[in-house]
Amino acid sequence: MAVPDLLRLLDSVPSYRERVTHIETTEPVTARYGRLDCSLSPALEGYLTQSGIRLYSHQCEAINASRAGRNVILTTPTASGKTLAFNLPVFTALECDSDARALYLYPTKALANDQLLPLDELSRFTGISARSAIYDGDTPQSKRAAIREKSRIILSNPHELHQVLSWHAKWRYFLSGLEFIVIDEAHRYRGVFGSNIAFVIRRLLRLCRHYGSEPRFILSTATLANPQEFARCLTGQVFVSVEEDGSPHGRKHFVLYNPFFNGICEKSAHHETKDLLVSCVKEDLQTLCFTGSRKMAELLTLWAREDARLSSARAADSISVYRAGFLPEERRTIEQQLKDGSLKGVVSTNALELGIDVGSLDAVILSGYPGTMMSTRQQAGRAGRKGDEAIAILVAQANPLDQYFMHHPDRFFSRSHEHAIIDLKNPYILAGHILCAAAELPVDEGADRQYFGDTLDEYLHDFQSHDLLRKTSRGWVYSGRGRTAEAVRLDGMPQETFRVLCQGKLLETMDRGQAYREAHEGAIMLHQGETYIVNEMDPATHNIRVTGTSVDYSTQPLKEVELAILETLETKEVNGMRCSFGDVEVTEHFTGYKIKRGDTIIGIEPLSLPPLTFRTRAFWFIPPADIKKSLDTAGLDLAGGLHGAEHAIIALMPLHVLCDRWDIGGMSSPAFGADGEPVVFVYDGHEGGIGLAEKAYAILSPLLISAYEMVRDCPCDDGCPSCIHSPKCGNDNQPLDKGATTRILGRISGEIPACSHEQVPAGTGVVPS
Amino acid sequence: MTATPLFNRAGMLWQQRISGMHEYEFVREGNVFSAGFSQSFVFSSEYEAARQLLATLLSQYQGRNFDSVFCGRDEVNSGGVCFAHTSRHDLSFHPFDTGRFRDEVEKDLSLVHGIGPATGKKLNARGYLTLNDLCRHPHYCHNAKDVLTRISGGNTLEIMNLIGGRHSRSHRSVLGTAAMHEPEDFVFFDIETLGLFGRPIILFGIGSVENEKLCVTQYLLRDIDEEEAALLATVSHLSGDHPALVTFNGKSFDLPYLTDRLAYYGLGSPVAIPHFDMLHFSRRRWKGELSSLRLTALEKAVLEIKRKDDIPGQMVPEFYEAYQRSGNCGPLVPILDHNRQDVVSLARLFFHLMGESYGCT
Repeated sequence: MAVPDLLRLLDSVPSYRERVTHIETTEPVTARYGRLDCSLSPALEGYLTQSGIRLYSHQCEAINASRAGRNVILTTPTASGKTLAFNLPVFTALECDSDARALYLYPTKALANDQLLPLDELSRFTGISARSAIYDGDTPQSKRAAIREKSRIILSNPHELHQVLSWHAKWRYFLSGLEFIVIDEAHRYRGVFGSNIAFVIRRLLRLCRHYGSEPRFILSTATLANPQEFARCLTGQVFVSVEEDGSPHGRKHFVLYNPFFNGICEKSAHHETKDLLVSCVKEDLQTLCFTGSRKMAELLTLWAREDARLSSARAADSISVYRAGFLPEERRTIEQQLKDGSLKGVVSTNALELGIDVGSLDAVILSGYPGTMMSTRQQAGRAGRKGDEAIAILVAQANPLDQYFMHHPDRFFSRSHEHAIIDLKNPYILAGHILCAAAELPVDEGADRQYFGDTLDEYLHDFQSHDLLRKTSRGWVYSGRGRTAEAVRLDGMPQETFRVLCQGKLLETMDRGQAYREAHEGAIMLHQGETYIVNEMDPATHNIRVTGTSVDYSTQPLKEVELAILETLETKEVNGMRCSFGDVEVTEHFTGYKIKRGDTIIGIEPLSLPPLTFRTRAFWFIPPADIKKSLDTAGLDLAGGLHGAEHAIIALMPLHVLCDRWDIGGMSSPAFGADGEPVVFVYDGHEGGIGLAEKAYAILSPLLISAYEMVRDCPCDDGCPSCIHSPKCGNDNQPLDKGATTRILGRISGEIPACSHEQVPAGTGVVPS
Repeated sequence: MTATPLFNRAGMLWQQRISGMHEYEFVREGNVFSAGFSQSFVFSSEYEAARQLLATLLSQYQGRNFDSVFCGRDEVNSGGVCFAHTSRHDLSFHPFDTGRFRDEVEKDLSLVHGIGPATGKKLNARGYLTLNDLCRHPHYCHNAKDVLTRISGGNTLEIMNLIGGRHSRSHRSVLGTAAMHEPEDFVFFDIETLGLFGRPIILFGIGSVENEKLCVTQYLLRDIDEEEAALLATVSHLSGDHPALVTFNGKSFDLPYLTDRLAYYGLGSPVAIPHFDMLHFSRRRWKGELSSLRLTALEKAVLEIKRKDDIPGQMVPEFYEAYQRSGNCGPLVPILDHNRQDVVSLARLFFHLMGESYGCT
């Protein structure tokens, strides 16, 4: 057993010991088995017996609920046997009813491919005909008709589904018999993408109703704070949530490791990761290391091999990189070498957390928090073979979330706070799918309200006035120019598309906002790990011309944000402070860009771009008037404090609401509007809003508390990248005042009572100037 | 949620996005090969001419109401009402020589399963010249009898499938099965739509032979509301006594589009009837000989028909939208003309090809 050896090493080497901020040990758990309410058919029972499978409690719970006609969402960890939990009810239905059909949706083609084999096996063994087939963009035209008509289980992805719904007449056999919709990895359908998928599913259900079927759902997701709410938003149906995992696992240690334990980092955090990886390999632990970028995966591998070579060439050769872009044979070789033990260390990018088929290992190292607890759990879940002791190590980076967890291990190991958000109210997304629906079947303003909400009527009339729909005696009929399913992109808003061209070849497309931020003239942009410089960006023709380059600097745009409140939808009081939620219009002026080498600014260039205006949803709050007075007394800067509070809140949003900090924007002002009140705005960065600010507004108290704790507990004096500096600040992180930030956040989170705000709480490191 | 300021822009934004979509490409003159055999390109000169025509029509028909421009009747059925217009056109064709078709088929030994061109030749050399001869063959007699039974059964659809399955679907004998029909059986069919799938069909053109003339009935939507009635009216033409469908590219466009729109209104598909898609037979006949195999090019080269003030089919949506927006029915004039000419040319092309191979001499 080598895991205890590694733990001893972490404890005995001083440089390790001081960096280990917490070790959470989970004791081994034995399997808990369950009982089915009514037994399976002899064929399925025989399959389980033959395969030596006894169903765990959560599998039974899911199967019982599904067979009772309920919709089920399963949130147990990876490798807990979720696939069987949805295959058994599906096959039961296929066996009972020869017309029954099932649709399995996977987020990627690769995941669908992986499932085909087990389905075929189950079908072959039980003799229950399923004719499982994949139907996606790669399916040959010649096979499509047969699949639609004969396959009883079709595996596809949401993009394909979005495209095929308008051909429903060809799918009428399948749709009229559809009994199950299985959605695996459903947590991937959140944010803009998820909100689009939610309407694709509603369009599917609308067609099912037309053809007389009423399918049940089985969803599987990673751990979420709001599984039932999420499932309901995604599908419009009510769900039973199955969360208690009955599968066994061995002893597990989760180590929180902070290279910035003393506020500085002697080596880089990446070198610390390398040291840990080499130590693991030397302890003979098979280790998987996740990094944030492909480049870092390559570098880490290189360093680790050099380092390991000092002690043994064999150890050096047992470390390899595993990244996107490898040929299938290369991947299989690595997977095989991991299985036969000749490979000890593999470095991979976060993006591969699902695609990698290496089974389970002894140790997992996460180089930096991967952005969500969900990903963290999925990556760390790779550690632990059947019942063996395993270890996972999170190496913190210098950013607010990583450091927040280092100072608050309890938050890290507690129940998930992450809410997966689906916004059914974004007018652009909703409107796009109403158009798609109207091209599939005439829309009935009464009966179709269940899918598109109570404002359906208003949209229909609005579309009529824009010549997109016509009211007929059979309902509202689409009569616009383009094909709707082509106009509606599932991962974006109906915005103009900018094309990035390199020597006439299309590299990628982006919307106007992204083009202004990342591909303005002179910008250094990254595309699939390669560096490009933007020679020309034409806001009128939407063409961006770039050439490959290998400069050693980066660029960052500078922008000024103007914000106007269009309508206040809600107002409430939190800790004596007025908070509101509503519609705003944001205007961003891109004034120039910084040229940086590392963190050093080596130049600033002006930009002349037309302003970017979008309407979105925001929450905002007006700190109580007495704060300004007390800050003045203490010689602290109100503007710098509000700006810092804005950054801190945005940095901690992903802890509560599943999003990237890049999905959210902020604006603060010491004197806003006609009344000249101090204010902080936090808005969704997407046209029409995507529910992030709305959710944050609903859970404002815990959000403010975590932001306050994060700033309070950062050991720096004046603000740093681990607390209130923002990597995306358009004002170059000016002005910022950490002392003022701490006081404002302390006061509005209710952590510092109004009467005692004169006192600076201990441990803030604030030096009043 | 009530109508918030956010909502107000949704319709406008989608209109912008959708009106920016084009389903056809411009091709510079003389560059037809660059577009491949796609239906979705428009020559830039055609486009310019059509835009000009549209402007002229809008001023020419300003203030004139529908009934003063189009002389027709209301077609009323369970789907509602639509506008129907009928016209008659000269048509010259020779009666079909059914014997020629039967001879051709009976000499085609490769219709029998297991016989390819090589085996066929060997059998010919050994005196098996017809399927009847083959009925005496020790090995092939069974299959040969079966083929003969199917042919003498007289079911066009089955014979088309038999020949098409053994040869290609565009084999001349597949077209030859049309000789088993009376000229009055054929339904020449062409639609005009608001785009490539998923949008209304705004005009249905149906041609049939009556008293040696071609009678073209067109069902036009004065408003989208009339689509269902026009669909039902069209379907009624496809369910006659012994009907056969004739189209140009109808296998991949007109017929699936029709089925799709019927399904859109929750109506069943029409019963399968023999379908002669002239695009495929024309391709086989004139490939390599003519540079373009679009219907307009064929009618010019083969039938010597010249169109005046025609609009490219791809621009029909733009013209119809102009009508919808303005209420001015001028833009409908070239749409009806275009569709009518398509049906007429289609019928003439069909009889031309049939006459070449199976006409009475």
